[in-house]
Amino acid sequence: MNQGNEIISRLVKLKDITSSKDIKGLTAAMFPGTHCPLMGAAMAIRGIKDAILLVVGTDECTYYTKHMTLNSEDFGGIGGRCVSAVLDTTDVTFGCKKMLDRAVEEIVNEYAPQAVFIVTTCVVEIIGDDTDAMADGYTEKYGIPFVSVHTEHFKCENHLPGIERTITACFDFMKETEKNNSVNIIGQRLGRFEDTELFKVLSENNIEIGMQLPCGCTVEEIKTAAGAKMNIILSPIGLPLAKKMKEKFGIPYIFFDKFTNPDKIIKAYEELFESLGQVVPENLYEIYKNAKNIVQEVSKELEGITYIYGNTPFDCMEFNQFMVNLGMKPELIQTVSVEPEIDKEYLEDILANSNPYVTKTANIAPLQYVYDVIKPNLYLGHEFAARLRKKGISVVRCDNASSMLGFEVTEFITKELLRAANESRELKKEIEV
Amino acid sequence: MSLTRFLPIPSDRMGILWSLLPIEDTVVLEYGPAGTTHFSVGFFGELRENQENHLFTTHMSEDDVVMGDTGRLEEAIIEIDRNFSPKVIFVVASSVAAVIGSDIKGVCSYMQEKVNSKLVAFEQGGFRGDYSSGIKESCSQLVREIVKDNPVPQEKNVNLIGFSMGSYRALSDINEIEYLLKSAFDLTVGACLCGETKIENIENMGGALLNIVLRDEGREAAEILEKRFGTKCVLGSPYGYKGTLNWLNEISKVIDKPINQEFLDEINERIDNTVYYPMYTMMLKKDKPFVALIGEYERIIGIGNFLKDMGFSNQLRLCLHNLKNISNPDDSVVFYKNECDRLDSVKNLHRSFILGDDPTMSICQKDNVFLRISMPVVKGAQITRHLPLVGIRGADFITETLEEYLQMLK
Repeated sequence: MNQGNEIISRLVKLKDITSSKDIKGLTAAMFPGTHCPLMGAAMAIRGIKDAILLVVGTDECTYYTKHMTLNSEDFGGIGGRCVSAVLDTTDVTFGCKKMLDRAVEEIVNEYAPQAVFIVTTCVVEIIGDDTDAMADGYTEKYGIPFVSVHTEHFKCENHLPGIERTITACFDFMKETEKNNSVNIIGQRLGRFEDTELFKVLSENNIEIGMQLPCGCTVEEIKTAAGAKMNIILSPIGLPLAKKMKEKFGIPYIFFDKFTNPDKIIKAYEELFESLGQVVPENLYEIYKNAKNIVQEVSKELEGITYIYGNTPFDCMEFNQFMVNLGMKPELIQTVSVEPEIDKEYLEDILANSNPYVTKTANIAPLQYVYDVIKPNLYLGHEFAARLRKKGISVVRCDNASSMLGFEVTEFITKELLRAANESRELKKEIEV
Repeated sequence: MSLTRFLPIPSDRMGILWSLLPIEDTVVLEYGPAGTTHFSVGFFGELRENQENHLFTTHMSEDDVVMGDTGRLEEAIIEIDRNFSPKVIFVVASSVAAVIGSDIKGVCSYMQEKVNSKLVAFEQGGFRGDYSSGIKESCSQLVREIVKDNPVPQEKNVNLIGFSMGSYRALSDINEIEYLLKSAFDLTVGACLCGETKIENIENMGGALLNIVLRDEGREAAEILEKRFGTKCVLGSPYGYKGTLNWLNEISKVIDKPINQEFLDEINERIDNTVYYPMYTMMLKKDKPFVALIGEYERIIGIGNFLKDMGFSNQLRLCLHNLKNISNPDDSVVFYKNECDRLDSVKNLHRSFILGDDPTMSICQKDNVFLRISMPVVKGAQITRHLPLVGIRGADFITETLEEYLQMLK
């Protein structure tokens, strides 16, 4: 208990945060730590079907990346399109160009790729090899696109910049092309877009889907993506590419995140159809009304339920605002980003009835001491469920929402919150007995 | 090096990490970007290594890299000492820390007076060889820094040195070795470098009756112990029936104790049952048997010799790690630095018995007979602790697939 109090005493409260720099980790020694942008880049390239992922790094970085893809059908398994250029001490001392030249030649001869992503890791960035210039040289030499994606972890917090940089790098593949009526889908990190409500709505209204980056596309689809009528951006990681495409090709974009609040979802639908010059389908308002009713019903059951926010597929601040408006109370929020000016709309609601502690993500080891002090009902994110159950805490499982967009998100998450809240009540009773 | 299509050879740092993780009452603290640690979690999990409250990272920011600030490492050491009270904290440099030249040993040196846990620094960072070097360094450094003077004599204990959690069927092998030692001599294992072992067993290694060096990477550690405590050692691992008997005979000679007669009879019976195998190979009219062994040095030599005894002397022996830590490596063993050369040497084999790792076997022709004897595992997982490749049970297991190969040959 003392250890938990001591850990908490070092944390900052949400109201006192002036920028993300104020957010402290629970401890200096972390486990497991955040994912690195190299993993993010690999996640993104997985969805680009005929591109090669060439990791340039130490034996260890290249090993773990390949290891991650071993059973991935998308990558093609052990003999698949994730390959490595492994640095040795000579490369670190004299630069990796010679070694990379040989590796690239072998790739072109053996794999006949449509594009190659040269993903550089921490050590390459420290030794300062100019892989951007090398990529340009290979593009010229072999006549297929090569792009360099930089994934040094010591300059960023987690894996998301790796995804963002990879999909933004795809801009270099794009060419002016004949205009069509399709919409591009940009920024879906996990799951299949075809499984989402948004896809169903677009299909029912005969809206053609263009490039889906990075959740499933070919290099050719990226090259011709500039012909689309509009870009739908599904998460903030897609915004840099959307802005570049707007600037160069004049393609407008709308932001349709994995919102939980039905009011935000209907607004996104309205903006989408307005931008396409179409009327919002009537049935969407019926679904909206239904979602609002569900929220109202569930809020009676969730009033006063406390929670620790870990890691979910949703936008941290939007989701916390949603839960607070359901009557729930955040005790601790794990996030790497709180910017009071940008997040103002959300923070006003969250802070109206609570003032949670805030700490960085991906450090579950010291959390076990914090639970005894905070005693929440719920934990949202990845943790050892059995360990939490002993403390009367129920885990809210959100991963299934990866393939959801639209009102289905509201329905799913409210049901899951309700299930977990009921389970927590039972667990707390068991502990008291 | 050029392109690596499959998996690179794990680095010295990876070998160090999987060697240190199974040691109880210790914590491994990595000084480097957190992503590497998170990425490794799945890999070490597959090796059945427990990481909860046992593995930590400091992460590193741009400031730490540019300015060489080690403040967060110092803070993490103090925290771990206070929160978990491990007997030892192993501070392991990342490749980033190694490239920028962080003085991990220096930090450990001045932080030692501030903490109760003993601090041991590993500065390799992944650039001083492959995992074979990591295993060697782990064994040697543990012996240098952890083993205490004036140990209590343990006449029933032997130490195992050079054991590697990164080997295929490692946990099954250790069970088989324990079984052999118990059955033959009523001996038990004291410390195991580096497997599931208590740190106090390592501290007291100097009192053991004998050191058994399972693979050559442990030789240096055994020599240090012999110099310090006079402990005799036996080199090698027990592969095959005759190989197991020879290994036990070596131990018997050094400790001056005979092998339990009942157990000796059991092994001899197994050896008698295999005398007909060379005759089978001589009866073949069309096929010429060929064996390809791909794996760690000790294993391909051990299993190779076993199969040679069975009449399968036509062999290709490919080592999956550098041979620089092997004293006087056998001429029959080849190591290719480039993955491509290794794959080229096996991809056109036909109607052969291929014992190796999943990636290499994946590119071989389908008309061969396969047996997995090496990491990495790509298909499925290794879970059991009772299917060794060493000892009597290991020889039984290999012979089963050898029978399959014989059935194929004409």
